[in-house]
Amino acid sequence: MACKLFSSKRKSLERNTGAGYLFLAPALLFYSLFFIYPVIFSFIVSTKRWNMLVPLSRARNVGFSEYSYLLKDEMFLGVLTNTLIYALLTVSLTITIALILAVLINGAKLSVLWRFIYFAPVVTPQVAIGTIWGYLYRPNNGLLNSILRLFGMKPVYWLTDPNVALFSIIATAVWAGIGGSMLIITAGLKNIPQDYYDAAKIDGAGPFRQFFYITVPLLSPTLLFLTATGFIGAWQVFDLPFTMGRNAPARSVMTVSWYVYETAFQSLRMGRASAGAFLLFCIIFIFTLLILWIFKRGGIKGYE
Amino acid sequence: MNKKVTKIFLEILRYTIIVFGAFWMILPFFWLFSASLMTPQELLSDTPRWLPERPQWGNYLQVLKRVPIFTYYKNSVIVATSVTVLVILTSSMAGFAFAKLRFRGRRILFSFVLSTMMFPVFIFLIPVYYLMKLFGWLNSYLSLIVPFAVSGYGIFLLRQFVMTIPDELLDSARLDGAKEFRIYSTIILPLIKPALATLAILTFIGQWNSFLWPLIVTSNAQKLITLPVGISRLSLAFSTTETQHLILTALVYQVVPMVILFLYLQRYYVKGFVLSGFSNL
Repeated sequence: MACKLFSSKRKSLERNTGAGYLFLAPALLFYSLFFIYPVIFSFIVSTKRWNMLVPLSRARNVGFSEYSYLLKDEMFLGVLTNTLIYALLTVSLTITIALILAVLINGAKLSVLWRFIYFAPVVTPQVAIGTIWGYLYRPNNGLLNSILRLFGMKPVYWLTDPNVALFSIIATAVWAGIGGSMLIITAGLKNIPQDYYDAAKIDGAGPFRQFFYITVPLLSPTLLFLTATGFIGAWQVFDLPFTMGRNAPARSVMTVSWYVYETAFQSLRMGRASAGAFLLFCIIFIFTLLILWIFKRGGIKGYE
Repeated sequence: MNKKVTKIFLEILRYTIIVFGAFWMILPFFWLFSASLMTPQELLSDTPRWLPERPQWGNYLQVLKRVPIFTYYKNSVIVATSVTVLVILTSSMAGFAFAKLRFRGRRILFSFVLSTMMFPVFIFLIPVYYLMKLFGWLNSYLSLIVPFAVSGYGIFLLRQFVMTIPDELLDSARLDGAKEFRIYSTIILPLIKPALATLAILTFIGQWNSFLWPLIVTSNAQKLITLPVGISRLSLAFSTTETQHLILTALVYQVVPMVILFLYLQRYYVKGFVLSGFSNL
């Protein structure tokens, strides 16, 4: 009997090969056309001066000059800095606030209602969110400044002061992102056995110690997931800065996606846009590995 | 006694934070709805109003006359639905293969799929646009649909689900002579229905809100404009002071129905996340 099972397993091992590739065929075809080809193509474009109007073969070869141009270009470095600030602040603030709220709401009265409310922005198009907040942030007749006036404070030029605009957009991004992270953290909270908290209570640990010694450590895989995916999303941010930052002076809120979009599809400088895209990709890649490494040193495994 | 006082204090603090946060979450939506009923003078007055003096329900009719909202809706529905169907199909097939079929290169291919998730979208804008141009798809829905037909995240999610199905179940079907395709369609698909629902909703919302790619593609194809692109163009359509207030009215049309629908489907988010095993990696 055992022998028969063994042989049937071996048979299925052989039989699966064809089926395996057959089931993967659509995905593999897709990836070769919309992933491998574009990445290679993009890299070649980044070494050319090309406007997409002539065939690529006729474009002039410029080597890596676009890369060295960008690394010295103040505008691109500014764009890179904006994106870095945006990603760091948005991800850390969103996760921290979501963690605190998720713990507070977990087991609270009306918890379903609260989650509902906090989740609403997650399903709202970012473009719509940007437009609404654009109105709330208006300098003279916006709601936020009227609240400030209520407390006798000076109006803030939320989206037109170059030192403030990026942070106003980050605030909106955090506002919009809390609900999603909260939901995922809530799912993680439900996996922590209640016994741990009971035991801690018997030992006399208060809510704060329970939070730092039970909740946070046991949630760390969830937090790793949120951090890693949060950064990958934040590096690519386009919608909010693009809709809210059009009146911001001197490109003080331009992000890399926006830069690539404008350089490629408005200025038709495909080479420079591709080089910018690749530069940020390298940063993202190193950064993601760094995060996984930090968490690993803290004792958490990644996706393997 | 002292302990009890601390406890009550902490509870008050807890609900104060929750309610304060909730107030800020609701405020923009409340103001949007309120402002959608205002006159242009009210919206632009120097002392911002929380509520309109007399609700201008006529704003809603005016918007319909000036903006092809239903065309935007139609385009968004067509694109989001098609992408969702394709992603469900390709992800479940690939997820099944990665979880249950043995073949050479499985591990490498799966790592490849995972790594694709790390590539930012802006690397693909130029080459995929060029590809669409070559295919002659720039004037058709295909350019909005096909580049999103496969999702690395979807494959990963469904693979995690299919892994939880016991091998014995598939092996006994194989002993009965079932081919792999029958196993996929009659065993795997019915068993992963909750995961399919989760993935479908995630994909649909993602597409529904997607902006950058449709913005690029529809710049030369007005008839393909989807909701988010339509929203971003409102400020062009209503640039004068007499019409500016209609931007907000139009936003209500675009935002509210979907928010209600998606809030109703919220539980699938949680379910999908818990079952996918993300929460205990």
